[in-house]
Amino acid sequence: MNLERLPNEEKLGLCRKYYLIGFAFLPFLWLVNVVWFFQEAFIKPAYSEQLQIKSYVKRSALGLLVWVTVLTTWITIFQRFRAEWGEVGDYISFTIPLGTP
Amino acid sequence: MASSDSDDGIYTERTALVPAPSYRPNDTPTTRNRVNAPRGGASAADGRVLEAEEEEEELTLKYGAKHVIMLFVPVTLCMAVVVATIKSVSFYSEKSDQQLIYTPFTENTASVGRRLLNSVLNSLVMTSVIVIMTVFLVLLYKYRCYKFIHGWLIVSSLMLLFMFSFMYLGEVFKTYNVAVDIPTVLVLVWNFGAVGMICIHWKGPLALQQLYLILISALMALVFIKYLPEWSAWVILGAVSIYDLLAVLCPKGPLRMLVETAQERNEPIFPALIYSSAMAWTVGMATPSDTQRSDTDEEAEPQSHVTTSPEGDQEEERGVKLGLGDFIFYSVLVGKASVTADWNTTLACFIAILIGLCVTLVLLAVWRKALPALPLSVTFGLVFYFSTDFLVRPFMDSLSDHQFYI
Repeated sequence: MNLERLPNEEKLGLCRKYYLIGFAFLPFLWLVNVVWFFQEAFIKPAYSEQLQIKSYVKRSALGLLVWVTVLTTWITIFQRFRAEWGEVGDYISFTIPLGTP
Repeated sequence: MASSDSDDGIYTERTALVPAPSYRPNDTPTTRNRVNAPRGGASAADGRVLEAEEEEEELTLKYGAKHVIMLFVPVTLCMAVVVATIKSVSFYSEKSDQQLIYTPFTENTASVGRRLLNSVLNSLVMTSVIVIMTVFLVLLYKYRCYKFIHGWLIVSSLMLLFMFSFMYLGEVFKTYNVAVDIPTVLVLVWNFGAVGMICIHWKGPLALQQLYLILISALMALVFIKYLPEWSAWVILGAVSIYDLLAVLCPKGPLRMLVETAQERNEPIFPALIYSSAMAWTVGMATPSDTQRSDTDEEAEPQSHVTTSPEGDQEEERGVKLGLGDFIFYSVLVGKASVTADWNTTLACFIAILIGLCVTLVLLAVWRKALPALPLSVTFGLVFYFSTDFLVRPFMDSLSDHQFYI
């Protein structure tokens, strides 16, 4: 799918859909949205829909940032305190490392 | 682990090489006709038409060469992922007692003859399953049961993107002995799978779609490497490439019929599960083609179709399309070589497959019709594997034993 070939309204529609679907716990989709539409939103010469595309890209980037922060914090806490949580820690673990730390 | 039928559907139909829009077989024959007809006519006009024709041929050949190179990258990437996984994650090279239901005969037999017989029988079972699946899918396509095909494709890719990647992730974490919590894994797999579904079946950046296709081919190849018994895998590779040859080139072959039906209906053939080296279809096409696209995805497997791009409103980039089954079986070959043999053999197989692919693409440029991509590459690969393993390696070993450098 090549963005060049799409008319501007369709580009806007696509960007918007990506933004909305990203709310279903899909920060990766927001990342794809930001990267893919970055050139369209910020580098290309202005056209009528560009302002809206820009806002969607910015909001996707914001959402992505929030998710990254939350995930990083959670992973750090988990890795640091997993051993101390005992049974609860094991319960929410997917893989448990073998051997002694 | 018994794979479901949908798995079969995926790999069955994926071995195909399609010279996408770049070659327009419809165009050149007609110009040729026009040239031949007016014999005594204005020689200048003839000359010009001839020139134009030659130029067009040159252009297509040059384009073809460019796209050959463009196919090398994804094929290499797929094989690299498979080999890297096998070398690092031991799970995929451990033999398990579980076998796919498609290979019912065991290889733990007392005698060599019995084992050989069992592997041949296994490959017969597997090949017949593939044939039945292909014929079934061709019939579905012929009778326009698009909804069914669409649903089947979605289920198959769901399984690949979620279940197999979940398994894969679990094994990678176990190998590196890291503790991972369930919420994180769920988020990771959900993101990977959902974005994959969106890119493959709906709209997404081309590079990401290509990457996903490569990854799911690699995952599928890893599953095969893990669950196919040793000798059966080699015999199956041979059998599937023979089947590919027959199915694509014989007039009544299912894949050929599929190509022809799609051409008659002027539809793009299975865009989503064929890897294309460039955007091959016009964006301006109406929606009926969209639904058919996703349908034909998985079916497109062992197909080499010629897609003469429907003369679209917009110009399209030309490209060559390679079925995902080709990726899968190439990677299975190289992966099995890396499991059981050393790096010499692995690299030899890799080179052999690329050479086969190159030759196939040259033939594609010459013949301008859909060609099976498996037979040549797999033949070279098998020849190189067995000769390197049994001849070259002991030779190199004894050379280095005796410190004799050549």
